Amino acid sequence: MAVRSDNRLADFPMVPVACSRCGACVLARKSSWNQTTVQWNAEASAACLERRDAQDLAAHSGRGLFLACSALSGSIHDAVRSGDLAVVDESVRVTT
Amino acid sequence: MQSEIDEIRQIEAEAAPARFARGWHCLGLTRDFGDGKPHAVHAFGQKLVVFRGGDGRINVLDGYCRHMGGDLSQGEVKGDEIACPFHDWRWGGDGRCKKVPYSKRAPRLARTATWTTLEQDGMLFLWNDPERNPPPPEQAIPRIEGATSDEWTDWHWYTTVVNTNCREIIDNVVDMAHFFYIHGSLPTHFKNIFEGHVATQYMNGEGRPDIGDPGESKLLGTTSVASYFGPSFMIDDLTYHYEDADHKTILINCHYPIDANSFVLQYGIIVKKSDALPGDAALQTAIGLGDFVKMGFEQDVEIWKNKARIDNPLLCEEGPVYQLRRWYQQFYVDAADVQPDMTDRFEYELDTTSPNEEWMKVVEANLAAKSAAGTT
Repeated sequence: MAVRSDNRLADFPMVPVACSRCGACVLARKSSWNQTTVQWNAEASAACLERRDAQDLAAHSGRGLFLACSALSGSIHDAVRSGDLAVVDESVRVTT
Repeated sequence: MQSEIDEIRQIEAEAAPARFARGWHCLGLTRDFGDGKPHAVHAFGQKLVVFRGGDGRINVLDGYCRHMGGDLSQGEVKGDEIACPFHDWRWGGDGRCKKVPYSKRAPRLARTATWTTLEQDGMLFLWNDPERNPPPPEQAIPRIEGATSDEWTDWHWYTTVVNTNCREIIDNVVDMAHFFYIHGSLPTHFKNIFEGHVATQYMNGEGRPDIGDPGESKLLGTTSVASYFGPSFMIDDLTYHYEDADHKTILINCHYPIDANSFVLQYGIIVKKSDALPGDAALQTAIGLGDFVKMGFEQDVEIWKNKARIDNPLLCEEGPVYQLRRWYQQFYVDAADVQPDMTDRFEYELDTTSPNEEWMKVVEANLAAKSAAGTT
């Protein structure tokens, strides 16, 4: 039961974005202004400072879900502002 | 440019896997298994026998006696063991034959199949692993505080058989749109996080003014944090925000496979009692919300019963179905073959509350400036 690859990524691949706080490098993609996809790897997860803080607190808080790294979210916003990370919806609008 | 002849897109699907997922599965409420009688459970393509022995432990064994194939679920619990109805052979929770009443010696080396069990928060769990390794501690099912507290109601529990492969219900984790169409909520913030053996769906929703609310006062919205801990057991911290008060609930959504093409779907609810919801009112709320959830699942089931299995869904910009299935695949391969991309953290977020218009103007200005400066 091999899992297929996501055809949407072939049309518009994910782009590396580094976090301005810890330097963790993730892959990001925005299909629209409202939507963000982030793919981490083990190295990025280990580097993330907010994640480490969340893990320290996890034993004391609920089921220990780490919802998001705010520094990384900020870095992704910056990448969009600077034009390094294109938004699929907007790009399609421009090219068609 | 489109090609001159549009190709017909084919739905592709391999047969559902013959292997069953590695992980903790909830068989149901302990109260339904713990009465000292043997219970037959059809799961993982087999017939199992579940019984609580005199020592208080709940055991799960293969349902058929290794002697002559008698059905142990038709037998009787004697002491700590299950006795076969055919020749009274006694089997212990460790899978060993403890006694053959008419023989001086029992075949002590022979073992039947057993499953590790766990009783927790009113539920009975079983660890399934085709490789027969013990459950890793980091995959333990988290405790649910309310489940053992007088401040919460008891479980209000539903069980139903669904005749399709269980991947269909897993797909719901990423299917934001169906919450609008089937479950009557209006998501404003939706996020999936897959990491390790946990797949989470975080959702803030607003009440749908166009449809009836599950309650008497006005429903402002819901906050839901729902995580699958392993392949089959989801805990949903689900709070209903009403005009006058918040109702805190825990919704369990779990299943176990009967075989490759059917599964037992179970869901249960507990509701926190409060000044706004004292004892009886909390129970009524649990029943009311349970029926509301039941309605949603029945609509899901109606879809699943008639839909085609599809390995190559045609997706626009919507939920991460492929990435969810990549996560789910970790439970269907040997532990040594779990790949980093199956367990690495993945996030998919949709936030319709951010002020896009203003933000867009800034971006366009920046890009224009960049272009004017000749840097693009």
